[in-house]
Amino acid sequence: MSSPAGTPGAGASAAASAACPACGAERPPDAAFCEQCGHDFGAALPTPATAGPTATRNGETQTRHAPVRAQTADEGLESPLDLGWTGPVSRGAATEVDPAPAAARCAQCGTGGYLDGYCDTCGAKQPDPRDHFAESPAAWVGGVCDIGRRHSRNEDAMALLGSTRPLQQAVLVVCDGVSNTTDSHIASLAAARAAREVLDDPVPRGMGLPDAVVGVITKRLGDAVVAARQAVVETTPDVNAPTPPSCTFVAALIDEGLAVVGNVGDSRAYWLPDAPTSEPRQLSADDSFAAEQMREGMPRKDAETGPNAHAITRWLGIDSPDDLTPHTASLQLTEDGWLMLCSDGLWNYCSDAVALRQLVADTVAGLGGHGLHPPTLAQALVDFANARGGVDNITVALARVGATAGPPPVASAVVEPAAMPANPTAANPTAANPIAAIPTSAGPPGATEASPAAYAPPQATTPATDAPETAPAPELHPAPDPAPSPAADREDSPDGTVHD
Amino acid sequence: MAQFTTEVFQNEFLPDGGTDVHAIVRVTCSGAGETRMGGGGEAAEILIVDTSGSMGANGIAQGRYAATVALNEITDGTWFAVIAGNHVGTLVYPGYGMTQMVRMDARTRQEAAAAVQMFRADGGTAMGTWLTKAKEVFLSVPQVIQRHAILLTDGTNEHETPDQLTWAIQGATGFFQCDVRGLGDRWQIDEARRIASALLGTVDLIPSPERMADEFEKLIRASMARGVASVDVRVWAPQGAQVLFVKQVAPNLEDITAKRSQVNPLTAAFPTGAWADETRDYHVAVRLPAKSIGQEQLASRVQIVVRDEVQTQALVKATWSNDDSLTTRIDDQVARYTGQAELAAAIQDGLAAKAAGDDAGATRKLGRAVQIATATGDEEMTSRLKKVVEIDDAEAGTVRLRKSVEKLDEMALDTASTKTRRIKK
Repeated sequence: MSSPAGTPGAGASAAASAACPACGAERPPDAAFCEQCGHDFGAALPTPATAGPTATRNGETQTRHAPVRAQTADEGLESPLDLGWTGPVSRGAATEVDPAPAAARCAQCGTGGYLDGYCDTCGAKQPDPRDHFAESPAAWVGGVCDIGRRHSRNEDAMALLGSTRPLQQAVLVVCDGVSNTTDSHIASLAAARAAREVLDDPVPRGMGLPDAVVGVITKRLGDAVVAARQAVVETTPDVNAPTPPSCTFVAALIDEGLAVVGNVGDSRAYWLPDAPTSEPRQLSADDSFAAEQMREGMPRKDAETGPNAHAITRWLGIDSPDDLTPHTASLQLTEDGWLMLCSDGLWNYCSDAVALRQLVADTVAGLGGHGLHPPTLAQALVDFANARGGVDNITVALARVGATAGPPPVASAVVEPAAMPANPTAANPTAANPIAAIPTSAGPPGATEASPAAYAPPQATTPATDAPETAPAPELHPAPDPAPSPAADREDSPDGTVHD
Repeated sequence: MAQFTTEVFQNEFLPDGGTDVHAIVRVTCSGAGETRMGGGGEAAEILIVDTSGSMGANGIAQGRYAATVALNEITDGTWFAVIAGNHVGTLVYPGYGMTQMVRMDARTRQEAAAAVQMFRADGGTAMGTWLTKAKEVFLSVPQVIQRHAILLTDGTNEHETPDQLTWAIQGATGFFQCDVRGLGDRWQIDEARRIASALLGTVDLIPSPERMADEFEKLIRASMARGVASVDVRVWAPQGAQVLFVKQVAPNLEDITAKRSQVNPLTAAFPTGAWADETRDYHVAVRLPAKSIGQEQLASRVQIVVRDEVQTQALVKATWSNDDSLTTRIDDQVARYTGQAELAAAIQDGLAAKAAGDDAGATRKLGRAVQIATATGDEEMTSRLKKVVEIDDAEAGTVRLRKSVEKLDEMALDTASTKTRRIKK
């Protein structure tokens, strides 16, 4: 029963057998759809102009029957926005991409195959490449953007660049689409890429003075915000729509060891030095109701779990506020550590910089020899957030200062969703990632189990985390079930955040 | 070659724990063209005209005329025959004692027109024997793949048992299609509906003999335009799911759930007969095992299949969400057709209760019908209902049965109840 769309008595179509017109894969004589790419043999080829990520508007679904096409772009040029994006294609190395129809095996039921974007046995949706993607432009730069566990769409986006020589140049951009607006998953990706393009140009080095370079990069970040907003505006389907697409913005430009970050909204940048004696810190400043309350003196814990904790006060979109000057900060990357950009899908579960540094340190340790591989660490941090409930989309982008490592042998830098092993217990396809099996803590057993919702470091490195192993720290919010609050102004409420 | 396209109307969002997915699948056929002429001679048409004694002189005269008009509409090259029906079914053309159909051409058309002049009002009514005779005649040209008949009756099926009619219907099911027309007010809608439902046809009322010719002309034209024989709707549902029902909801209401035949463990086929260039809407309901919030899956593949070849498919989806603004919305098309189905059921049940002397039940059901028709702005149905009931409060559905009702008005209400109106997107 591999093909309900098949044609039992279709001897007539045998004459037309040969190759799929969309992807060139072999076409069995009785197939109505391509086993490889899902192309409908009864339909004309879609034009690229009509190909795009499927968007469901409101509840009235106008189903688009665009068959998925195999992408043919070379590594580095491919895009998750391309319909049928199947991950990077190594140039001239087709043998590296599993040619067997591994993609046809359903990750949910393990018995069926994908016919038309859905399993032919259990109906499970074939993972959308937009739902989970990784980028690793250089050995020291990498990130993962993931749908999480609770959302039906990945509205986070990420765009990265990195020079081969460490610290020479890197661009990291993370945008978080505002979830109660139209098509913000398209807007956020467009914004992130537009910003990356602006930030890609080399920084002029003539003026020499470090402050002048910071000034140039700061201005560049402002330009990137403007370009990102313009990209969002261009995705706006209807200027009069009550909820036009919008997103947050956080970007870092690294130039010859100098990092400058800028943000609008509540996506964050952190500097997380390796040395316990160095102070980790949040470089970005949230444009959020919670941040305003904290500036007025409310404790972080209360502010970030309050009713409007996730209401943002500035965003990019056709309806954005007039002043979009990003909050900026700069630092010289002189000691080993991680520059991290992330969406609230991660910091919902670990907000404080000290706790986050600890989480990263433990996660690196738990990954054995591969913890210093940026995309592997990013994936492990995404897994951490998913294990805590994955209430929101999760994006983690990292630049490593110091020694790096290669990927673990079982997992490539980009895990192709369709190639993932069947895992019937996984609620979310991304959870089937082999990296997920790697413990995120090298600390004593029970340390992380004791606080399911928020991260508790296994060792006492700060007074705030000096809690007995048998019980969660009193500051932590265990929140066993991450029930999102519909009252949240912007996105689902976190189920718990860590202490200040 | 005909092209089929589909469109899906649904709200794919289900609340936490939600299981039932409803979708309207709109299927449009284009390029069906006319029934193939000459060559394989794949189409056959039989006229079955009631010639029982009750037809009377005027009825028979109009019957002759209507049959002649119908013969003129049958495309040259089509196999055809004419059966006169009373307590037996008699092949009037190609001729008494013959069972071989002939192709339509100028000569056979003229011969047939002469033959129908021999109609005489005499005898009783036994529709089962007419259907059996038609099947026998159709079988004389086994190469035909598209068979259609028009059955005209003016009375109840009193010269055979209900079982005999049932057996005859069973024998014809899946073999030929049949539209049934009732003349006047002495025939039984239930009987006609049983035949037409099984034989993938329609039922309607012809109020007076003078209207027969127009109706025959319309029916034959429609039949001749059907260039695609035996189209199946196939419904795939995932493992563990259950197809609750499949109904044609436009242009008329027909629950085809019971016509299912299993194609494979997950796919069932439902016959829909021959298609012209037309659009039909199907309401598909599937019950799924609930999944967790945020999960999306396919609830059904609805495929249009012609002779085992899939022409097109529509995807019906399900996404579980905790966003009430998404999950509480009912798709307009689904809501409208659900309302029309309930309206039809209320009218038919109400009239059945009235016929059985259950005035309280009839009042309640017809009151409900008035309420639905009013709520949905269905003025045509409201005005038809007004001929049967006095409306005290349309919104509340408070009605009284009229003391004297024209039988024809009641029958018109009944036959109109299954005709649905398509709404714009």
